[in-house]
Amino acid sequence: MSVILKTEKLRVEFKNRELRQQKKIALHGLDLEVNTGEVFGFLGPNGAGKTTTMNVLLGFVPPTSGTAYLFGIDVREPIARQRIGYLPELTYYYKFLTAEEILRFYAKIFKIPRAETGKRIDQLLKLVELEHARKRPIKSYSKGMQQRVGLAQALINNPDLLILDEPTSGLDPLGRMKVREIIQRLKNEGKTVFFSSHELGEVETVCDRVAIIHQGELKNVGRVQQIMEGYANLEKAFLNIVGYQEQIA
Amino acid sequence: MKTIFALSGVVIKELYRRKDFYVLFIITILICLVMASVNVFNDDKIVRYLKEICLLLIWLASLVIAITTTARQIPAEREQRTLLPLLAKPITRAQLIIGKFLGCWFACGLTLFCFYVFFAALAASREHHLPLLNYFQAAALHWVVLGVVVAMTLFGSLVFAAPSSNATIIFVFVAGILTIGRHLHQIALGQPEPAQSIIYAIYLVIPHLEIFDVRDLIVHDWPVVPWFYFGMAVLYALAYIAAFLIAACLVFRRKAVN
Amino acid sequence: MISPRLYILLLIALMVACFAMAAKLEPQFHEWRGSRADGDIFEITLGEGRALFANEFYVKADEYYHSGYYPSIFDNRENFQTPHIAEDTGAVASKNKGGEEEQGFRMRQLDWIDAFSRHFYPNRHTHLDQGGASGDLKDSGEIREILPWLKLSADLDPHNVQTYVVTGYWLRSRMHKPDEALAFLREGLRNNPDSYEILFELGCLYNEDLHDPGRARNVWELAVQKYLKLSAQDMKDNRLLMEKLGTQLGLLEEKEGNYPRAVYWLQLAKKASLTPESIQSMIDDIQKKMPENARTNSLPALPPQ
Repeated sequence: MSVILKTEKLRVEFKNRELRQQKKIALHGLDLEVNTGEVFGFLGPNGAGKTTTMNVLLGFVPPTSGTAYLFGIDVREPIARQRIGYLPELTYYYKFLTAEEILRFYAKIFKIPRAETGKRIDQLLKLVELEHARKRPIKSYSKGMQQRVGLAQALINNPDLLILDEPTSGLDPLGRMKVREIIQRLKNEGKTVFFSSHELGEVETVCDRVAIIHQGELKNVGRVQQIMEGYANLEKAFLNIVGYQEQIA
Repeated sequence: MKTIFALSGVVIKELYRRKDFYVLFIITILICLVMASVNVFNDDKIVRYLKEICLLLIWLASLVIAITTTARQIPAEREQRTLLPLLAKPITRAQLIIGKFLGCWFACGLTLFCFYVFFAALAASREHHLPLLNYFQAAALHWVVLGVVVAMTLFGSLVFAAPSSNATIIFVFVAGILTIGRHLHQIALGQPEPAQSIIYAIYLVIPHLEIFDVRDLIVHDWPVVPWFYFGMAVLYALAYIAAFLIAACLVFRRKAVN
Repeated sequence: MISPRLYILLLIALMVACFAMAAKLEPQFHEWRGSRADGDIFEITLGEGRALFANEFYVKADEYYHSGYYPSIFDNRENFQTPHIAEDTGAVASKNKGGEEEQGFRMRQLDWIDAFSRHFYPNRHTHLDQGGASGDLKDSGEIREILPWLKLSADLDPHNVQTYVVTGYWLRSRMHKPDEALAFLREGLRNNPDSYEILFELGCLYNEDLHDPGRARNVWELAVQKYLKLSAQDMKDNRLLMEKLGTQLGLLEEKEGNYPRAVYWLQLAKKASLTPESIQSMIDDIQKKMPENARTNSLPALPPQ
């Protein structure tokens, strides 16, 4: 099983303007590996460094030190993003475009041939159940519909690695179930999914492995069953690992 | 190039789906038609004042469209988080900058085309002749100078945080160049040192946008600008466009977009 | 919860109150001194401040007269004999023979940007009445292009006499539009009833274009009366116009055969003139036509017509 996503001693520091240029360390030398074909859950409380890690992996934020690789290619190279799909938390798309136009736009960026683009758009809109609204501008969509457009755009290039930042955030139970189904389907197709979530029940259901990060440091990584060992469920294990158990008790 | 043209296509779609252009175009048409209906000493052959007013409105409208459209491109992408899924695709930030630039520039070109067609129709209806080469030169130089303004605004949008402050600064800067740009060296001569050297240095460094404003030649029916100098002016503008885009790429290259 | 019907009733009540107040106040608005309500669009929007822009448009007309070849505030204006359109209106050809003025007002080329940019601006001194930018036409109709700016300037500052005089001149002498010139000069006279300059131009229009010497005589004589009411200093400053008035009246009377009156006006012109010799020769010519006992070199009382 090959490594598809890897970080080595990843460190990210931000200048904190409010604290007069004092540095805020977002990631302390993060080492992480995700293997091909697994669904990997990236867990941590708010401000733990999950989104920062994803931002580095996607080239949004340059690391202060350390390196990150996708498919063995340094993430600073645009080609590293050729075979990935990304769904950010709370995304908004060009409101003046329709769902079909947005997907066509991203397909052009991936240089997908015109003939194939049409078929791919049809498939994806069917998958996310937006066929009926394909010609409507995004500004007329509900939040759930926008999230589904986001999922469709993340899949436009038929990616081998899908990076999802809290994909079920803000969705109703039906929407969450739909996203879980899609993740499961991708897993069955042999795709790798790397996603962050606060929904521990959901993680427990779909993930093969999870990593728990707290205050920029990796606290635990392993198979879901391994991490849950000695605890009633993943939530209890998570709270214990990040040091909140006593407060809960 | 496919990626760059895809990016510019979205900008062009944005322009024609927003109302700004239509509002400015209709206002220009209305003002010009009202001015054309004025009876000046019962002489319906008088045309130059109309050409002057129409060209002034075209210049104002084009600058408003160019600056406001460009100023909001990257800040709006950041604010609405559309930049995240975009940069997660295999594109470089330089491609994004160039795509945005070309989109805004082509959009301005389309806008200018509409405005100049109206201008030519209005002028020809009074003059009964159409100096196509003159109009071509005026429109082409106008479009080229808008390229410099767009590149400048794009660079400004990466330096200044708010689109409104960027747009205001660029407006003042462009208006300043168009009005006193060509006289700065004369102003410098009347100043003591070190002001003289500073003003002269500014004169040499700023893009001389006023060169491209050939409205006077069009209004007063002068012969076309010699093609050699026309070509040189285009190259001069392209050099500034390249300089601003490179500066924008350098600023944007390591900028965190989270 | 308040019913929507109540909002509608409230809205209607407010509208009725507004209309009632408007009906009550409207007559009072009109009684206000200095109300802009009856003025044109410039008066309504700019008030008295509109005069500030009048000169800009007057200069714009002059710029058009030169087909766009015109100095800015940064250029050497002393070398540019401006404003031509106002300066003795028509006798401009003598000032446009090339030479100093052609090259003068734009300073010497200082650098490559300056040299390069000069290919993109009007760079030859031409006059619209002599063909404008194309250069070789005679008595071009293009002069009409200055008229909108002069009209606008007059609308913005109706008390600027020069605008009416210049516009009247171009309309009657080069555009061959005496009716329009007459209307415009009359408008100028309504706005400036004491203007002897407008009266002079009006007289020229009656005499030369409408061929009505009687009316010309009347307005010129009225102009002389206005002139003579000026202070001594103002008379001195405007003596050129008095010379013109006197000469025109003298020529008119000579043409009508009223030699004593012709001599009388020419004597007045001579008194105001800086070159009295030329007028004296005109007087001498007329006196030769007169009986010996009627000849005089002193200024007599105005003989009856």
